[in-house]
Amino acid sequence: MIRSLALPILFGLAGLVLPFTGSSYLIGVGFALCCSIALVQSWTVLSAMTGYVSLGHAVFYGLGAYVVALSWGALPMPVGLLLAGGVAGVFALLVGMPVLRVRGPYFVILTFGLAELVKYLVIILESELGSFSRLMFGAPDLGVLYAIAFALAAIATAGALLIRRSRLGRGLLALRENEEAAETVGVPVVRLKLVAFALSAVIPGVVGGLAAMRTTYFEPMQAFDPTVSFTIVTMAVVGGSDDARGPLLGAAFFTILSEVLWARLPQVYMVVLGLLLILFVLFIPRGLAGIFAGRPGKAA
Amino acid sequence: MDVLLSGQLLFAALITGALYALIALGLNLVYGTMRLLNVAHGDLVMIGAYVAFWGLTLFGLSPVVGLVLAAAAGALLGWLTYLGLFRRLLASPQLMRRLEGNSLLLFFGISVILQNLASLAFTASARGYQFMDQVYRFGDVALTGNRIFVLVVAVAICAAVYLLLRFHVFGLAIKALIERRDAALIVGVDIDRVQLAAICLGFAIAAIAGVLVSTTEQISPFMGFPFTISAFVVIILGGLGNISAGLVAGLLLGVLEVYGVALTSAAYRSVLIYGVFIAILLVRPQGLLGRGSVVR
Amino acid sequence: MNRRHLIAGAVLAAASFGLGGGAAWAADPVRIGFSIAKTGLFADAAPSQLNAYELWREQVNAAGGLDVAGTKRPVEFVQYDDQSNPGQAVRIYEKLITDDKVDLILAPWGTPHHFALAPVLEKYKFPMVGNSAASAQLRDIKPGYIWFPTSAIPDKIAPELVAMMKANKVTSVAILSSVLPFSKEIKTFLLPALKKEGIEVKVNEEYPPTTKDMTAMLTAVKKAKPDATIALSYPSDSVLFAKQAKEIGIESQFDFVLVGPTMDFYQKVVGASANNIVTVGHWSPYRADWTKAKPFYDAYVKKFNEIPDHLDSALAYISCEILQQAVAKAGLDKEKLREVISTTTFDTINGPVKFQGVENVATPTAFLQVQGDKIELVWPASIATAAYRPKTSW
Repeated sequence: MIRSLALPILFGLAGLVLPFTGSSYLIGVGFALCCSIALVQSWTVLSAMTGYVSLGHAVFYGLGAYVVALSWGALPMPVGLLLAGGVAGVFALLVGMPVLRVRGPYFVILTFGLAELVKYLVIILESELGSFSRLMFGAPDLGVLYAIAFALAAIATAGALLIRRSRLGRGLLALRENEEAAETVGVPVVRLKLVAFALSAVIPGVVGGLAAMRTTYFEPMQAFDPTVSFTIVTMAVVGGSDDARGPLLGAAFFTILSEVLWARLPQVYMVVLGLLLILFVLFIPRGLAGIFAGRPGKAA
Repeated sequence: MDVLLSGQLLFAALITGALYALIALGLNLVYGTMRLLNVAHGDLVMIGAYVAFWGLTLFGLSPVVGLVLAAAAGALLGWLTYLGLFRRLLASPQLMRRLEGNSLLLFFGISVILQNLASLAFTASARGYQFMDQVYRFGDVALTGNRIFVLVVAVAICAAVYLLLRFHVFGLAIKALIERRDAALIVGVDIDRVQLAAICLGFAIAAIAGVLVSTTEQISPFMGFPFTISAFVVIILGGLGNISAGLVAGLLLGVLEVYGVALTSAAYRSVLIYGVFIAILLVRPQGLLGRGSVVR
Repeated sequence: MNRRHLIAGAVLAAASFGLGGGAAWAADPVRIGFSIAKTGLFADAAPSQLNAYELWREQVNAAGGLDVAGTKRPVEFVQYDDQSNPGQAVRIYEKLITDDKVDLILAPWGTPHHFALAPVLEKYKFPMVGNSAASAQLRDIKPGYIWFPTSAIPDKIAPELVAMMKANKVTSVAILSSVLPFSKEIKTFLLPALKKEGIEVKVNEEYPPTTKDMTAMLTAVKKAKPDATIALSYPSDSVLFAKQAKEIGIESQFDFVLVGPTMDFYQKVVGASANNIVTVGHWSPYRADWTKAKPFYDAYVKKFNEIPDHLDSALAYISCEILQQAVAKAGLDKEKLREVISTTTFDTINGPVKFQGVENVATPTAFLQVQGDKIELVWPASIATAAYRPKTSW
């Protein structure tokens, strides 16, 4: 217990100290890192705990961005952000029922397709509304955005820790091992999956809203960029998703490495990232957290 | 309404569909035999397109020769990735537990590498050339030469692969692996060799499709992703790993795209495609044309 | 493209590991930072801009360096890949300004990137001459540290295009529009402008990106027999449009294609079909009184073995020229630079450029036409380099 809390606390302290450096650049990196941690932790609530691998978390991110862009100027910023999370969660509840009946590779592809479908629906909707892209003037300062992102990362990490120890978490793990068996012994499989799906959607919605404020611009092709979905899964694999430390390590490794690489090796850093991903999958399947844990165990 | 009955539209649907069927065929072979989710499939299309482009630009080789060169390049890449990565993946019980997820990430890594190497070597600028751009008229149907070329080659390759799987010993082994993996093992199919052949064939087909694409549109290092997506849509429509149904599904997607747009509006094109795709996954995940037993 | 280019590309990776910049300079270099999309959605559009930057740097250094209020100093670039992501671009510019402490900055590629950067520039009071951004919304940006030399702004393109069509006796049009922002924005201004002039809209269709077939849309256009066909398209659909318009035999004699015809690959892919297509752009190498225009064109073709994009490459080069002339006057002091950029009339490859607020008020909104192997300015008459020609064949 103590060991598994040490790393989150370390990250938390580092995050609290960061603003005092006064360096916009570092705070900018910190903002991106916090957003990534929040996204990956949320993703694990569904995908690592239940084994339903989502390749469509960009849909929640994009919806959140859209809600914030739509409500910009009409609602106070905090309300817009809460609404972004709410809409993402409600959307997950609505589509979750049919979507979570599909398993394995079908679920992976389905979530991806769903994100693309929503992207094109938003494009049509924007067209009907006579809008081409939305500019958001007067977005909050980087310091404020960082504080919100830090809080989100903290909430997501704490949430992931708590859920793993709760009845919900145990139920989810049971259904990951064997869904039919879990159902037979009375685990409310359908409800648990749905709750996990919704929980894993809320924070990505808020993060999407934050990202829109950071760029002060909304355009569907950008907001629903499938790269977001791929990056989340990549970070989860690199970090390992067996416990709440994995996403911290994965997001930090990925963010810091690409930060170092794109400054030093601007021409080849994407190639290096691709190679690293391959090496991780083949040789470190339990991720960085697996190395830390040190004990041999089963793959996530 | 008469637009719907025109031969022009029918040919547009056939050409679009034949290309979809061809691209999806390669993906389906790799998924069917090894359960690998190849998200780098479109990048192999890109490689094929560049092989044709450079073959023509540097050595004056016709894209017809390019077809052969690209197939060789695709097969070589398949051989390299199988020996370097996937043999290891498929041999490890630990990695096999989440084969689909792991293969997806491996291929994502490959995709990133291929795109960026191409961008480094060729620059990211779009390029292109002209090939058979004469328009031929058949009654009230007008077709550009390169589109006829696409149709003929795509149909020929799909038919050849179909016949191979149907009648040739080697094709039968691939088919056996797809449909009854455990049984194939028992009856003594050399799984390793068959898998290697399937991945080489699958990659070669993607590269051939790339040559076809390069005769009709401009190419760039980042052109592949939409092809990956449409290939996935097709093999889901047909049922994952179901080769012949995948071919029909490719044509169906072409019809859906061309006639769907004609019936409604071009604005709904993507929504239509993804909508049908999702509806099928939700209602009949084994595919529109699949038999329940074929998959999993 | 030739073999030399291929090899040059292949050794680029090796060179970038830090072998560059071996020349010994007496003065400290002026470090100019920017981000550019090397990967992602915009990667294939960005080289047109990057090439212009590199040509400019080469020319400046060959001439002894950048004149910084009287002292010549060599130019050095600090560039990063923004992955086509505006959020990443924001981070990069914050890094360039606060961490790399560059002396000057150039613009990234793309409208969203420019918009995302405006608050950053404002915050650090760091001037940047933009280039590839094109949206009427840029006028909503608070003037101060960002300027837009482009005159290809949707709310001006639309009425000018209508005026040009009217002058060429167009009474009906078909519009095919991508749903991406630049296209949609132009259409928003185009429809009322057409109505006002009494030009009938016979076909009005939208399509999403990655569309692979336009047969149904173009068959409808052919049947409607409009005088003009307006494709508000992005590069890949611009190719598809020209190829299928040829196949189906579109007969309208006024054919406008939005983004693509000014790019090098376009004519290579669609060949003679590009001939007499009208497109947007306000620069041409053939304008005799823009004495710098042809030398820029020739130097670009010599260095890259392809033609400059008459819109993006030209704009990128113009933004460099503006920065260069401003620095010669004001040095590197940001406030002085801002003052000079805001008030001076600059002499560029596009003739005089003068800013009022964020906008260039000296360059008229104009249209180009592909005429054989030349791209000529055909509208408005004040800067035209050739007469408009009807399109009689594909």
